Amino acid sequence: MSCLMILSCAPYGSRSAKESLDVALVLAAFEQQPAILFLNEGVLQLLPASKCPATHKHIGKIISALSMYDINELWIEQESLDQFGLTKEDLSQPVNVISRAKVSELCSQYDQHMVF
Amino acid sequence: MAGFLYMSDLIKPPALHSSHTSLTYTVIVRCGPHQQGQSLSAFEFTKELLVQGHQVLRVFFYQQGVHLSSSLRVMPQDELDLTALWQQLSLDYDLELGVCIAVALQSGIVDQQECRRYELSAVNLAPQFTLMGLGQLASASVESDRLVSFGG
Repeated sequence: MSCLMILSCAPYGSRSAKESLDVALVLAAFEQQPAILFLNEGVLQLLPASKCPATHKHIGKIISALSMYDINELWIEQESLDQFGLTKEDLSQPVNVISRAKVSELCSQYDQHMVF
Repeated sequence: MAGFLYMSDLIKPPALHSSHTSLTYTVIVRCGPHQQGQSLSAFEFTKELLVQGHQVLRVFFYQQGVHLSSSLRVMPQDELDLTALWQQLSLDYDLELGVCIAVALQSGIVDQQECRRYELSAVNLAPQFTLMGLGQLASASVESDRLVSFGG
């Protein structure tokens, strides 16, 4: 059963981003490594956060742990990157860039989708 | 919006075959009592699955959804009490209602065991709901034909 997680929450400001990544790590612990597609504000989770406010959990640390959990299939939407004036090179992880037009095709390759 | 788009993709196949095939579902409820429309959709969808003879392995309450498992919310008389609706559905169909234990504890929702463990002053997890770890969501998802999430 293949799973695609679609994350569109900004990294800080609410607990949503952390809670969605928690689900990804637990799925991996159960040997169901999900693929992850970052959309909209979700792309900001991939910025290398050199400074994280002490009041928040460092999302960057969880993101960098994904590969240790064998979660290696990371996708990011080109239009979402454009929206924030970012390029692939600005991100902390190697990711596959996909255009908005191809997103539904990507989704159709997975049995299950979890949208956060 | 994206969520709805992808969710409709998920719903399409069973709708086509609903008269022939019974499928196994896991439902994730991420919206709370304050997002009434979404929370009601989650309930109505789950109820309809059961009415149509599908199997719902587990409903998993996560994020804001955990607040639906509190027995201490008092609703105005002319408004829907979603907690009571879920409880009745659980009784009618022997439906498992799982609540993420980590989020529940952070939201002030505890059962007898956690109340004792953390020496808290009250128990407020509503009957029919069970606290469980995210692992129970992972194991339900692997056994389900369809995984549908509400909220966000």
